[in-house]
Amino acid sequence: MNDLLVMLQIDGRRAVIPAADVQSVIELEAIYPVPRAPDYVLGLTAMRSQSLTVIDACLALGLSSDCTTSERAPIVDIDGHLYAIRVDKVDDVVEAQSDVTPISGGFGPGWERVARGMVETDRGPALVIDPKLLVLGSTAAAA
Amino acid sequence: MDDLLADFVAETREMLEAIEGELVAWEADPSDRAKLDSIFRFVHTVKGNCGFFDFPRLEKLSHAAEGALAEVRAERRHADSRLVSAVLAIIDRITQMTNAIEAGEDLPQGGDEFLIAALEPDAGDIGETVAIQKTDGEVKEAGTAAAAPRSIRLPVELLDRVMSGVSDMVLARNDLARRLRDAGNEPTLDGPFERLSGILTDVREAITKMRMQRIELLYNALPRLVRDLSSELGKQVMVDFEGGDVELDREMIEMIRDPITHLIRNAIDHGIEKPAARLAAGKREIGMLAIAARQSGNKISIMISDDGGGLDTAKIGAKAVSSGLVTQSELDAMSDDAVMDFIFEAGLSTADTVGAISGRGVGMDVVRANIEKIGGEISVSSNAGEGTMFFLQIPLTLSIVSALTVSVDGQRFAIPQSYVEEIAHGGSASIQFSRVGDTDLVTFRDRRFPCLTLNNVLELEPRNAGPDQRLVLLRLGSNDLFVLAVDKIHDQEDLVIKPLSPSVMISGTYSGTTLLDDGSPVLMLDVPNIASQNGLISDVRQRPSQASEVETIVESAPTRTVMTFVAFNGRKRAIALDLVARIDQVDATAIDIDGDREQVVIGGRIMPLIGVDGASLPDTQIKLLRLSDSECEVALAVAELGESVEIDAQLTQSEDPSFEGVALIGDQPVPLIDAYRIFARHAQPARIARTAICRLPEGDPWTERMLAPLVEAAGYEIATGDEPADVTIAIAIDGAADLPPSDEAAVITLHSDPDAVGTSGSGVYRYDREGLLTALRKVRSTPNQRKAS
Repeated sequence: MNDLLVMLQIDGRRAVIPAADVQSVIELEAIYPVPRAPDYVLGLTAMRSQSLTVIDACLALGLSSDCTTSERAPIVDIDGHLYAIRVDKVDDVVEAQSDVTPISGGFGPGWERVARGMVETDRGPALVIDPKLLVLGSTAAAA
Repeated sequence: MDDLLADFVAETREMLEAIEGELVAWEADPSDRAKLDSIFRFVHTVKGNCGFFDFPRLEKLSHAAEGALAEVRAERRHADSRLVSAVLAIIDRITQMTNAIEAGEDLPQGGDEFLIAALEPDAGDIGETVAIQKTDGEVKEAGTAAAAPRSIRLPVELLDRVMSGVSDMVLARNDLARRLRDAGNEPTLDGPFERLSGILTDVREAITKMRMQRIELLYNALPRLVRDLSSELGKQVMVDFEGGDVELDREMIEMIRDPITHLIRNAIDHGIEKPAARLAAGKREIGMLAIAARQSGNKISIMISDDGGGLDTAKIGAKAVSSGLVTQSELDAMSDDAVMDFIFEAGLSTADTVGAISGRGVGMDVVRANIEKIGGEISVSSNAGEGTMFFLQIPLTLSIVSALTVSVDGQRFAIPQSYVEEIAHGGSASIQFSRVGDTDLVTFRDRRFPCLTLNNVLELEPRNAGPDQRLVLLRLGSNDLFVLAVDKIHDQEDLVIKPLSPSVMISGTYSGTTLLDDGSPVLMLDVPNIASQNGLISDVRQRPSQASEVETIVESAPTRTVMTFVAFNGRKRAIALDLVARIDQVDATAIDIDGDREQVVIGGRIMPLIGVDGASLPDTQIKLLRLSDSECEVALAVAELGESVEIDAQLTQSEDPSFEGVALIGDQPVPLIDAYRIFARHAQPARIARTAICRLPEGDPWTERMLAPLVEAAGYEIATGDEPADVTIAIAIDGAADLPPSDEAAVITLHSDPDAVGTSGSGVYRYDREGLLTALRKVRSTPNQRKAS
């Protein structure tokens, strides 16, 4: 309860990442593609002399649709590597108004793999995404 | 030695701190195998380190404790409370001694035998002794705590943070520089900005140095170890080091120090045979121990090989069966290589006798554990009767890699310089492309190489290799060579390589990433992986002995290979490629030009510098070709690097004596620099060039006590026999000097009476130090005098 969450929009759906997992939100500038990397790896970008791996959330979820994308991306640190996650939109930081709960019937293919559950916010219910699963799980899934 | 000692103390103390908890736990539960193992490792390491320093008492103590613990490990003895107390007492004593060593005091007296005796299975109760030892220890500790530390140890994370902060500053500086340029000339800002840049460069260099050390540092300690060990064992061992300039993370050096020391001990103790046995086996009396480090991609390979008896697979196998690691039938099905790997298992030793040096079955498992802890690998290969080679691969988490940056489709990539054999222009006349099936082949100097196009490797726009591309000839392991065709070759630079995220690593194409000065990320290609993905190699490993055979491929062709470059006068020149040891880039500050003397400092060494010829140098980075005649090195400064081309061995004569001749490259005449002349002029061993000889009056006590040290300090050697001297110092008593031998040129006459000085030309009052030094300097600055007279 009362945890801070970063509200995102992925493929038109509301999703949140715990604010504690998000280092910062940056404006994505030049993305340098990485040939032969999995398709959800958009490439590398630089932030203050560090390289970040840019992950496309839509592709990582296996939603092949053309997602609209925003310039702003949350940065997460997973096992010492920094990732920028490209999403439709980065909204505000909101407060969780309920515990994280599962819903019967699951969240649907793609989402299910990265979902921690559902949470109520003042903007309505949102899916809680585990950024580690989003970023690493997709690696394992592709490998 | 002091630094090493401080390291030893610090390391021992760290280990003590680390095992303190384990000690207590082991005391509570002596059957806990894991705790026992870590305590065992501690005493084993202390023993190893003391053997290296001269601490016989410490060594004896740790050896005794190790022996008792080994018994327990082998389950020949039960760890009862008495044994536990005895071991703890010894560890306390080690703590005490370490403190004393650090404080530079004498070691606490006596009592060691008592402690050692207490380890014996039938020893009496020593509870009391332990108590006494403990109080002693506490008192000592209180005494040494006040000593001020001479150095501090920093967590590596802190250094990392500082380093990335400095990198940020460099990027911010570059950004600022761009803006300043855009804003036009601002003299009030440019000065301070230049200063800031300079400071930043210094700081960056210093920070980088903080983390990086040459592996030489590790090497330095080894010859002594080898010498002591071999004389102790009655063996003759020659040790050969290679790749001392490979740099790696300071932390890494610390981590591999113990394993490497251990491998060397093993090689000398078990590998290399006694001289008589060697002669009987038809080998040289002196055993060879070779240690070679090499940077390859994101790994550092270290090979430790000896030419001793090799591993006895039959014996290892038998041991493995008797220790229950495998069954006989499993063993029969195993390859020799797999059997050899058993030496890395805990509790397996092939040594027949247990010596003070090694051979307790610990060691190889500890070595492997330590190497794997830092993400490295170790493997062994051996031929019975011919020797053993250990092959270590150490990752470089943060290491500076010299790399070639290339690009395809406008995107840059880096290739570790260590793989790059040569670069060439695809359009060069000496290169032919051909296609067999879908495979491109390149014929280059009568050899045919498989050719990969980086575009295809990276699955970009597919294309065939062609003359519009640049070719990079890469060497992998032994004799696997292949060509990688790229669109452009940019530059060679030192890059700080950072690890890539797993999502990128699974492509199997890259080994790391780095940021260029403009802030753009560049991927480092994983050359061995790319090659194996394309079926170009089977095994990347190589034995060091094979590495040295490599150079002989291109011999006996009627052509020769030269490297072209543009000199500072804007002219194109060429130099024989086999003389170019490496290409370096140095800061302008590393270059020292003073009159005729031109020198450059590279990696802490002063080298003669040529190629400047009075031209004004750019004040940023200067490219150097390091020329080597295999003994001496000379640095050749160039304005621009060219490429390596093959030319007809027949040269057109040149009028200018500094050229060997003129070669026709493309349609241009390019003078080939006469390297023989360069080395004849610059490459005399520095020592001979510097030392002049001075003859002093013999048998005079004042001369011996006062004059000789002064003259030597001025860089002269004192003549001992009849050799010709550059200068003779004579002493005039009452105005009359001893006559110097007539064949010697300069004479400095020392007068005991200051007033007599003016009467003769080269006279100096004997306590006029400045005057004497000036006179000596004058002689040295006119070196031809000796011949002239």
